[in-house]
Amino acid sequence: MLWVDKHRPKVLDHVMVHTEIAHNLKKLVKEEDCPHLLFYGPSGSGKKTLIMALLRQMFGPSAEKVKVENRTWKVDAGSRSLDLELTTLSSANHIEISPSDAGFQDRYVVQEVIKEMAKNRPIDTKGKKVFKVLVLNDVDKLSREAQHSLRRTMEKYSAYCRLILCCNSSSRVTEAIRSRCLNVRINAPTEEQIVEVLELIGKKEGLQLPPGFAARIAEKSNRNLRRAILSFETCRVQQYPFTSKQEISPMDWEEYISEIASDIMKEQSPKRLFQVRGKLYDLLINCIPPEIILKRLLRELLRKLDAELKHEVCHWAAYYEHRMRLGQKSIFHIEAFVAKFMSIYKSFLIATFG
Amino acid sequence: MDMDDMDMDIPLPEELELLESNSHFPEQNQEEEDHHYYFADLDPPTEPHSPQPPPDLPAPSLEIESNGHKRSRPSSPPEEKRTKVRVAVEEDSSTAAADEDWLRYSPPLPEPSAQETTFPKEKTLSRFASEIDGECMPISAPNGDRVYAKLNRFEGEERVKNLDCNSYSAELSSEPINVILERLEQEAFAKALEASSEGQSVPDVPEAQTVHERLWVDKYAPNSFTELLSDEQTNREVLLWLKQWDSVVFGSEIRSTSDDVLSALKRHSSTVHNKKPLNSKFPGKNGGPKWSNGGRYINSTRMDESGSSKRIQDVRNMKSRNIGPPEQKILLLCGPPGLGKTTLAHVAARHCGYHVVEINASDDRSTSTIEAKILDVVQMNSVLSDSRPKCLVVDEIDGALGDGKGAVEVLLKMISAERKPDAGKQSLSKGQLEKKASKKGSKTASLSRPVICICNDLYAPALRPLRQLANAHDFTNNIAYVLALAPCMLTGNNSHQPSPPPYTNLFFRLLGRLTYICNKEGMKASAIALTALAEYTVIRVLRKFSSIHDSSSESPPSMGLLRVTFDDAEEMYHLQQSEGGVKAPVTYGKKLWLQACGIKCLFSAEAGLQGIPWAVVAECLFSVKRGISLISFQKHLRINNLTQSFDIGSQVVGQKDKSKNVLDIWKEIFYKRRTKKMERNSQRGKSFEFDSLYSLVSNRGDSDLILDGIHENVLRLNYHDPMMQKTVKCFNNLGVYDLLHQYIMHTQQMPLYVYLPLVPITVHQIVSQVQKPNIEWPKSHQRYRTMMMEKMDILNTWHHKIPPQIARHLSTSSFVEDLISPLLHILSPPTIRPVALQLLSDKEKNDLTQLVSKMVSYAITYKTVKSDILPQTLKCEVADGLTLSLVPPISDFINFKDYTSNHYVLSVAMKQILVHEVEKRRILQVGIDKTGALANGGHGVIETGTNKIPLPKTNYTTAVDMKTNENQVNVVARQLNTNPTIVSSNLNTDKSSSATNSGKLLNTGNMKKPTRSSSSFFDR
Repeated sequence: MLWVDKHRPKVLDHVMVHTEIAHNLKKLVKEEDCPHLLFYGPSGSGKKTLIMALLRQMFGPSAEKVKVENRTWKVDAGSRSLDLELTTLSSANHIEISPSDAGFQDRYVVQEVIKEMAKNRPIDTKGKKVFKVLVLNDVDKLSREAQHSLRRTMEKYSAYCRLILCCNSSSRVTEAIRSRCLNVRINAPTEEQIVEVLELIGKKEGLQLPPGFAARIAEKSNRNLRRAILSFETCRVQQYPFTSKQEISPMDWEEYISEIASDIMKEQSPKRLFQVRGKLYDLLINCIPPEIILKRLLRELLRKLDAELKHEVCHWAAYYEHRMRLGQKSIFHIEAFVAKFMSIYKSFLIATFG
Repeated sequence: MDMDDMDMDIPLPEELELLESNSHFPEQNQEEEDHHYYFADLDPPTEPHSPQPPPDLPAPSLEIESNGHKRSRPSSPPEEKRTKVRVAVEEDSSTAAADEDWLRYSPPLPEPSAQETTFPKEKTLSRFASEIDGECMPISAPNGDRVYAKLNRFEGEERVKNLDCNSYSAELSSEPINVILERLEQEAFAKALEASSEGQSVPDVPEAQTVHERLWVDKYAPNSFTELLSDEQTNREVLLWLKQWDSVVFGSEIRSTSDDVLSALKRHSSTVHNKKPLNSKFPGKNGGPKWSNGGRYINSTRMDESGSSKRIQDVRNMKSRNIGPPEQKILLLCGPPGLGKTTLAHVAARHCGYHVVEINASDDRSTSTIEAKILDVVQMNSVLSDSRPKCLVVDEIDGALGDGKGAVEVLLKMISAERKPDAGKQSLSKGQLEKKASKKGSKTASLSRPVICICNDLYAPALRPLRQLANAHDFTNNIAYVLALAPCMLTGNNSHQPSPPPYTNLFFRLLGRLTYICNKEGMKASAIALTALAEYTVIRVLRKFSSIHDSSSESPPSMGLLRVTFDDAEEMYHLQQSEGGVKAPVTYGKKLWLQACGIKCLFSAEAGLQGIPWAVVAECLFSVKRGISLISFQKHLRINNLTQSFDIGSQVVGQKDKSKNVLDIWKEIFYKRRTKKMERNSQRGKSFEFDSLYSLVSNRGDSDLILDGIHENVLRLNYHDPMMQKTVKCFNNLGVYDLLHQYIMHTQQMPLYVYLPLVPITVHQIVSQVQKPNIEWPKSHQRYRTMMMEKMDILNTWHHKIPPQIARHLSTSSFVEDLISPLLHILSPPTIRPVALQLLSDKEKNDLTQLVSKMVSYAITYKTVKSDILPQTLKCEVADGLTLSLVPPISDFINFKDYTSNHYVLSVAMKQILVHEVEKRRILQVGIDKTGALANGGHGVIETGTNKIPLPKTNYTTAVDMKTNENQVNVVARQLNTNPTIVSSNLNTDKSSSATNSGKLLNTGNMKKPTRSSSSFFDR
């Protein structure tokens, strides 16, 4: 087991980073007044961990006994009937799905699952835990239609089923859904919190941490706890005992992007742009989201850039990222940004150095 | 002018004006044809005044008459249509500014009003009828008073005068009219400009509160053959074909009718060529065709008149020879929608005295019902009130494949059934097999009535058999030149266009019809607006009408709506005022307005272009009309190019398919033609370039591929671009394409596809080079797609393989972003020595077991693969061409081009050890899971047992063990008796495996325990 999984807190009490949220969640469970929940925040901040811990708090340890199922639903969509296949993760009391996997038919998935849950309503003689929980991952990737169909279903079946929604950005969740949920923002842990966690792990693993080492990892981790723990473990594997000057191996794709950035800084011409295109394609092929590429590229470029150009370059990056989100072929827009940058940079060079 | 609809023959002022403004078309036309009305002194178009009236010009008195008509026209009761009523009522206020223009350029008019018009001398107008001697009629004065006006009759002279009037108006249209047109247009622009710069005066918009009970399309659909707007030759042929049935259907009545029809035909064709009094082709509200009026057109002799009359003569001869039904029993009309096929069929059939029965797509079209219907129509003679024979019109026969077939089959069956019995009976000189069946004779189902089929696509598969039999009458031939109109006017590129006149005719007829409608509906439409409308939609007759009528529900790029135009124009003005922008001229129709809205919306959807001022939009609209093809905007988009498509978009549709190879298109885009400098700089050259590229790209269709090609190749070009500005522009345009495409897909606004070809054109303008480009087929995007899908698949399957306790915390995107790089490091620790397990120290063994557990928990192992796909980034040790690589191939995810990572790779021996260990661990785990599952059933008993077994992965069992005790008490009792055996067998397997594994397992298990317990300790 990787340390990430091994040292993941299982109960709300053990949560270290978002203690206050955990406390509130616990209260919600205790008072048996759990509304629909929407967790949102950047990746690696602990949304899933909190959700799992919450489930455990609700249903006890049985919530952790999950099984994977490939289920098919028969859906009547007007004139034709569809067969939808989706992987679900379920325990006795909850179901976890990523409806966005169903593509544009996600709407039916959402409705069907909830309806089905409502049908097989668990009966408890004590009148406790009468609802099931449906965890929906990546709600921000749900289509508009699915989100709209979700909101009615959400209200209609709220007696039988509570939703826990999880997404990265709440801005792509419609207002209607957000207003029906208790929104829980899980922000990225601060570097101090990360250091704290790393030190605790070090203690558990029985490791000697040189001073400042955890801080360096935290700094490199982009405030992503998962990444911090993973690189911590990498360091452990590569060299132990630690030295405070030890190299922290970077993410390969980030390294590659910084190579691209230096390529761009070296020469500005259509030829070079053509080479850069090949590299960009390579990144895209390896499933790195174009937004992240653009963001990272901007960061790398800014690092080497003259201060007076920074503002302008940032503006254009934002401009092209917006267009990228509106459009479909991200390579066009990333390249357009690179071309724009080259143009700006070159004219700047010529203006300053003649 | 407050004029009622008098059924007068003289063109109304607006129409005259309209005619003038447009008559440069006929003029060109006439010049070509060497019209003999032309006189040398009238020909130079630059001369606005033609001071010398031609010698045989009508006498001044006649001009006065028409002038009198122009200026004063009180209402007259419609029932006196046939009477020439002329009442002189002074109405000075009603002369429009445009009228004055007209007057200015008209031949000099004698000032004194002539004696014929009964002017002040005698009492012509009075409050009391008694004061007027002779006939009088009541009229309403402008202020609402009832007055009586004296009637003056000129019965004797009427005919002559009418004729003269006619010739006078003919003379009018032969004025150097293009000058007038230009001036008019200039003035309109100037006015609009003025208005826009002032930004205050809203032009008076006539209130259009007419309640319309019918769509204008229906209301003004042609009722008689002579009203048809479609190509007259086609019309005539259809009529001819129908007439050939006469002998069968009507027997001997043929003579008389055909004479009528033929003369009508003749008249019709001559009027078409006359094209002066446009509105006179349309009868008044409450009258049928007034061909007694029209008769006077006959004597206008024309060059091609003789030709057409000869044709008709031929027809007559042929007819007299033919006594049977036509050789082809089915008429198939094809052509794009909106041309008037259905109308033609209906009108022609009615004209020939048939009762039209229509079967169209909305009806039931299964074979059986359609057969019954056709039989009913074709073989029965109606005995009901309507005793006319029936004519079957099968509309939309190509429709849906399955549906269309039914009708086609039935028709085919009937034709072939009829052939057989008739084959030997009689044969025609042409060698045709079929001959008419006698009206009563045949028992088989045969066609004894004309059948007209209508389709859009002649080459629809369903129609194939029918096509050979039917008299395929292809509208598309006509369309080809109708549609080619605008481009060829602009560019002179009319290679595939036989002759302009048919188009021009159509255009003018259309224009006339529009004017007529406007007049009927009491709308005031400027000549320019109407011309523009007519121009935009020469062929889409039907659709245009509907859009004029009420098209707010229609999609924006469909044509404009005249009535609403004015309201909208007003709205636009308000908008502009509020935004302080420039005003667009009112004369542009709704269409442009909607287009403008479309553009604005489109671009405001985009980030940087949010505040496109109306000024810009309006400016674009301007530029269309002026034919300016290039104005650059301060914004990054070349909106001017977009607007250009107003002109072109609607017309490209039906052009002959000239689609080219994609490679050729790319070449065309990147290749700049060497043209003469003069031409290149002129508007002409540019617009030609634009048009040809546009049609090229839009004909090809898959703009996606074209764009990919551009994207792939643009950077390989050798264009001079020191500051990368051209490249930036190019990519911005590609981006615009992407956005547009996505927008269209998302909103399903297919008409917006018109704009997509503009992106290649812009790119062409930016980067095209004189030297021939080397085009490569765009592969990279395709490659990127497929490879990404593959990798996504790998990630997804991996994700599913990982046990849910771990996988649930991960998403596929976080795999690549966060997980893979560190994981690769973690999985290949440099500290482990590839030696036999026994030689490892305790600490090393501990590391190894942890490594194995990690690999198992992330479902990773090593596998032998052929080394031809050698991962270059990882320094692999090759063993006989076989390597062990990770499965799933996660190392590929960091395998970038020209990138070397510093990942350490384990030696082959180490990998082999790992493979072995992982396998073992897996087998064990399956067993554990089983016991765990059972243990859950009766955990009270078994828990102790399982804990005694040295378990390498206690974590799973503990996770699995945890279970609420509440509702399982009864289950325990039931399972108690089955448990012991299972436990024992479980113990056995474990023991045996541990024995065979040389005690290593025990070691690992034991070593695992401390860490496990410590972790659980820290968990608390």
